[in-house]
Amino acid sequence: MVSDETFFAWLDGELGPGEAAGVAAEVEADPELAAKAERHRALQARLTQAFGVVADARVPEQLSAAAQPAEAEVIDFAAAKGSRATRWRAVPQWAALAATLAVGVFVGTMVPQRRDAPVAVEGGQLYAASALDRALDAQLASAPSGPVRIGLTFRDRSGAICRTFTEPAQSGLACRSGDRWQLRGLFAAPDGQGGNYRMAAGMDPGLAALVDTTMAGEPFDGAREKAARDTGWR
Amino acid sequence: MPSSIVFDDELVALLPRLRRFAYALSRTPADADDLTQATVERALRSRGQWQPGTRLDSWLYRIMRNLWIDTVRARGRKDKVEAPAAEADRLGEDPREAMDASVDLARMMAAMQRLPDEQREVVALILVEGFGYRETAEMLGVPIGTVSSRLVRGRTALLDLVGV
Repeated sequence: MVSDETFFAWLDGELGPGEAAGVAAEVEADPELAAKAERHRALQARLTQAFGVVADARVPEQLSAAAQPAEAEVIDFAAAKGSRATRWRAVPQWAALAATLAVGVFVGTMVPQRRDAPVAVEGGQLYAASALDRALDAQLASAPSGPVRIGLTFRDRSGAICRTFTEPAQSGLACRSGDRWQLRGLFAAPDGQGGNYRMAAGMDPGLAALVDTTMAGEPFDGAREKAARDTGWR
Repeated sequence: MPSSIVFDDELVALLPRLRRFAYALSRTPADADDLTQATVERALRSRGQWQPGTRLDSWLYRIMRNLWIDTVRARGRKDKVEAPAAEADRLGEDPREAMDASVDLARMMAAMQRLPDEQREVVALILVEGFGYRETAEMLGVPIGTVSSRLVRGRTALLDLVGV
């Protein structure tokens, strides 16, 4: 006589082929077991149908809105020079869009083109400019100076050198493109942390995830970082 | 593709399933939607803890299950004793009258509520959500034999309650 556990494991397709064939033969030979299998198949079907209504229904607005991460916000770098960053409501999957042309165009419409703005838009792409560009070019993680701090330096899968940076109100990732630093992502500092620098260990989770998928191999150590700078980030 | 894309896209894509699981666990649709909302909010706050390359669905289900357990515990004993009495009447109706799918949903939710919590979660994960025994055992952090015996008891009791 097959145990309940084995019977249901068979019904649920959890048994290996050999064992399943044994149970199937036993069920076929025993009308009572066969009827039990039928009843439980019907129960399974009813559960699937009843709760399937929920899965097939349109997700309530409030819930889909909650799933669009509020912390994924596009930052106005220039405005961030004031006491607090001006924020725009999230473009959903901002980090996702960061590597695309679309976001460059989108952000490009919002970033004021001031002479000292740390972000420049060209051909629909975002590039580091002024103080940010200079920091990415010259600054070593071990020797912070000025408003921008450098975090990790590493190569992406295409071999380009990338660097993470932190400013008081946001952090981001920029990668070498020709002789410029192209921005791959910008992340707002959480509320209330705008005035503090966050170290690598406290990296924004969105930035950390972006770094994780961008980086090929290990981050540079101090010597490699310096050597890369001295050879023009090739 | 950056993992943040995967995370955001998959989270949105998984909402219907998460919501279904919440309905299988919860007493009322309002409770279920609150639970789903709380799960999404927790998941977004903890997104740094998700390991890209691992299954996002199992991670989200685990969050939902833990939040649900917290509410169940917080609600306490009083509520738990009173609830079944009110639902007993509804369960006595002939299930074959349940032509309307939403009526049957209410009936199945009520029946699920009659199961002990540890049986309900196993029935919800395996029979409603379609997870395997091993995946379920991993999500709940219990041996597979425990999953299997809870499932036997849960589905047997459920069959008695709804009388397919």
